Amino acid sequence: MWRRSLGAGCRLFGCRSAVPQGIWGSSAVRACSAPVLPALSITALQAMDSWRKHFEERGVPEPEESSHYIMAHLFGAKTIQSVEQGKLTEFLSREETEQMWKLCTRRLSRMPVQYVIEEWDFRDLTLKMRPPVFIPRPETEELVELVLTDLETMCGTEDALDALHTCVEVGCGSGAISLSLLRSRPQLKAIAVDQSQQAVDLTRENALRLGLQDRLQIHHIDVMKDPEAALSLCTRASALVSNPPYLFSEDMSKLEPEILRFEDPSALDGGEDGLNVIKQILTMAPKILSDHGRAYLEVDPRHPSLIQQWVEVNVKELRYVETRHDITGRPRFCILQKRELIQGPRVGSGLRN
Amino acid sequence: MGFKTNANIYKNRELRIYKTFVTGNRQTVGFHHHRFSGARTVHTGAPLLGARLLSVEELFARGSLQEYLKRLEAEYSECLTLVNHSAMEERCSEEELRAKRSRVSLLAPLVQSIRELDTKHKEITETEALLRDEDPELQELAKLERDGCLHDIQDLRQKILDLLIPEEEADLSDLILEVTAGVGGQEAMLFTNEVFDMYHGFAQHHGWSFDVLEHMTSEIGGLRHASASISGPESYKRLKFEGGVHRVQRIPKTEKQGRMHTSTMTVAVLPQPTEISFTINPKDLRIDTMRASGAGGQSVNTTDSAVRIVHLPTGVVAECQQERSQLKNKEKAMKALRAKLYSRKLEEVTSKRYNQRKVQIGTKGRSEKIRTYNFAQDRITDHRIGMTVHDVKSFLLGEELLEEMNSSLQEFSNQETLMELLGENDQGGS
Repeated sequence: MWRRSLGAGCRLFGCRSAVPQGIWGSSAVRACSAPVLPALSITALQAMDSWRKHFEERGVPEPEESSHYIMAHLFGAKTIQSVEQGKLTEFLSREETEQMWKLCTRRLSRMPVQYVIEEWDFRDLTLKMRPPVFIPRPETEELVELVLTDLETMCGTEDALDALHTCVEVGCGSGAISLSLLRSRPQLKAIAVDQSQQAVDLTRENALRLGLQDRLQIHHIDVMKDPEAALSLCTRASALVSNPPYLFSEDMSKLEPEILRFEDPSALDGGEDGLNVIKQILTMAPKILSDHGRAYLEVDPRHPSLIQQWVEVNVKELRYVETRHDITGRPRFCILQKRELIQGPRVGSGLRN
Repeated sequence: MGFKTNANIYKNRELRIYKTFVTGNRQTVGFHHHRFSGARTVHTGAPLLGARLLSVEELFARGSLQEYLKRLEAEYSECLTLVNHSAMEERCSEEELRAKRSRVSLLAPLVQSIRELDTKHKEITETEALLRDEDPELQELAKLERDGCLHDIQDLRQKILDLLIPEEEADLSDLILEVTAGVGGQEAMLFTNEVFDMYHGFAQHHGWSFDVLEHMTSEIGGLRHASASISGPESYKRLKFEGGVHRVQRIPKTEKQGRMHTSTMTVAVLPQPTEISFTINPKDLRIDTMRASGAGGQSVNTTDSAVRIVHLPTGVVAECQQERSQLKNKEKAMKALRAKLYSRKLEEVTSKRYNQRKVQIGTKGRSEKIRTYNFAQDRITDHRIGMTVHDVKSFLLGEELLEEMNSSLQEFSNQETLMELLGENDQGGS
C-alpha cells in the first residue's frame, strides 16, 4: 500500500553475478526448485531485491515484506528499518547468504514468514512461533485490549484485586491471549487449555521465555471430547476468553496455502456454520464463570447475531451483553455475562413453571 | 526554568566551554557564569538585525529590569497583606482571595531571591571599607569575602532571571520530531538521514527515549521522510528551537564533477499532548490497514501490519509501519496524529505571540531557513542568532556542539521573553 521501497541499487546484481541469467530464468521456475546460491558476494539490499523478485515471480504474497523480514531476522532485528543503513550495503558473509537462501526457500514453499523466522510480535510480546500452532492475527490483539479495558472497569487499576481473579482461555495456541493478559495485569492468574499437544508445549515455552509461568496453568484438554476435564479445573473464573476456530468448513478450501498447508486446521475449522466450538464454550461458560463473570469471544462477522439468538434459547444463565467491532469495522467480538442466580425458595417456585 | 537548566547541565556534565560572543566590536560573556576557560571558542558572526545576547550584568544594569523587580516586590507585599488581613475581615471574594494566594506562592521564591540579593549588595559595601584596611591579613580576608559575595550575587541574579521566565504550556511535553528532505534530490535525502541521526544522538546524549515512527528511505541510503517520538525531561523545551529549514552546502557523494551543491531539509518539532489535555473524537478517524478487504480474522495471515489514520475533519494523516504488531503501529500512528493535531491547535494560540521574535517556533519557523551546515568551511551557522560553530562532523554527532548551539538559542529566546516582559521589544539598544 503506502509501504516504501528499499529496492533498487540492486540493478547491478545481474552484471555482477557470474551465474548465468538462465538459472533464475524460466527453467528454474518450471522446476519449482530454489534459486541457486549466488557465486559472488552480494549485499543485503541485493539479496532482498533478488528474493523479492523470486517471490513475485512465484506468486508468493507480500514478496517485499517477506524478504525484508527474513533479512532483518538474520541481522537480529525485527524490521529492516531498524537495521543500520550501512549494513545493508555491505557484502553478506557466505554463511549469511546461505542462511538467507535457506530461509527464503522455505518462504517460497509458502511457509508463513512467522514460521520461517520462528517468532512474531503480539501486542508488546515477542512470541515463539512453530508450525502447526496457529499464528495470532491482529484482530486478537484487539480482543485482548477489550478484555483488559473491561478488567480495569471491574477491578480498577489496583493490582491487589487482581489476585482474586482468574482468567480461563480455551484454545490458547501459542499462548498470545493469556500471556498478554498476565503481562498487563501483574497479579492476575490464568488457566489455558488447548486440544493440541504442540500448542500446549508452545504456550509453555512462551510462558517460560516471558517469565510468566508461575501464574499460568496449562492443560492439554479437548473441550469437545472431554468438557468435564475442563470444568473440573476451571471454576469461578472472572473471565473466559477465547479465539476459537470459527471458520465455516466450506471456506477452508479457499484459504491461502500459508494457512491451509501449515496451520493446524483444528484451530481454524469451526464446522458447518463455524459455531461448533463456540456453542460448546458457551454451554460450559456458566459452570466456568463466577457470578457476573464475562465471556469474550472472537468470531466471524456473520456470527454475533446467530450467537445472540442461540444463547437466548439455549443458555439461559448467560446474558448477551454486546457486539464489538474490529479496527476495520467488522462485527468481530462478542461479550456475554453470567446472570446472578437468585438464591432461595423463589428459584424453586420459578422453575416449576 | 530556562537559564538555570542550562547552567545545571553544564555543571553536571562537567562541560565547561568558554564562550565568547563577539558582537560588533564588543565582547561580552553570555548568561553563564563560567569558572573555567577551556576547550572551544565559539564565534558569532555579524548578528542579524542587531540581535545580541546580553550578559547578566547588562540586564541588571537596565532600569527597566530594576523597575520590574520593584513592581513585583510591591505586588507581592500587597497580596500578602490582603491575604493575611482578609482572613479576619473578609473584604474580598473567595475567588479573588484564591487568586491572590496563588500569586503570593508564585512570587515568594522570586521575592526571597531579590531580598537576598539586596542583602548581598549591602554586605559588599561593608567589605569595601575593610578592603582599605591597613592590616594586610584583614585585607586578604575582605578580598575573599568580596569574591564570595560577587559569586553569590551572580548566582542570585541568574536565579532571578530564571524565575522571571514563565513556563510554556507545552514545555513539559514530550514530542514528535519530523524530518523531511527538501530541495536537492538524493543529496537532500542523504543529509536528512544525517540530521535524523544527529537528533538520535542528541536524544541519547540527554538520556531521552527515541522511538522511530516513520522511516522512508531512498535508494542510496538517504531518507525522504522520518519521524520519531522523543520523550524525557525537557525534551520539547530544548528541541523546539530545532524546527525549521536546515541547509547543507557541500560536494555531494553523488556529484561527479566536484561541484558544490546547496540542499535543504526541514525539521518539525511537535509537542506531544497528554491524554487529558487533548482529546480526539474516535468518530472523526478513519483507520486503514492491509486487512480491510476480505473476511479478515482467522482466514487471513499477513505480515504487513502498517496502519494509517486519517483525521477526517482536518485531513491530517499519520501512519506507522515500524512494528510487527498492528496494534503497536496503531498506537504509534495515533501518537503522531495527536501531536500533529495538537500542534495545529497550539499554533493558532502562539503564532501571534511569537510573530515578532527571531527565534521562531511553530509553522512560521518551519518555513524559515534557520541554519547552514557548510562542509567546505567546516562551520555551522545559526541564522537566527548569527552564531557560528566549527567542526561539522562533531556537530552532527548531536553531542556537545549541538548542545551548545541549542543552549544559546534557549538563552536568546529567554532574553526575548524577558524583554517582552519588560516592555522592551527593541533589542538593539543597550
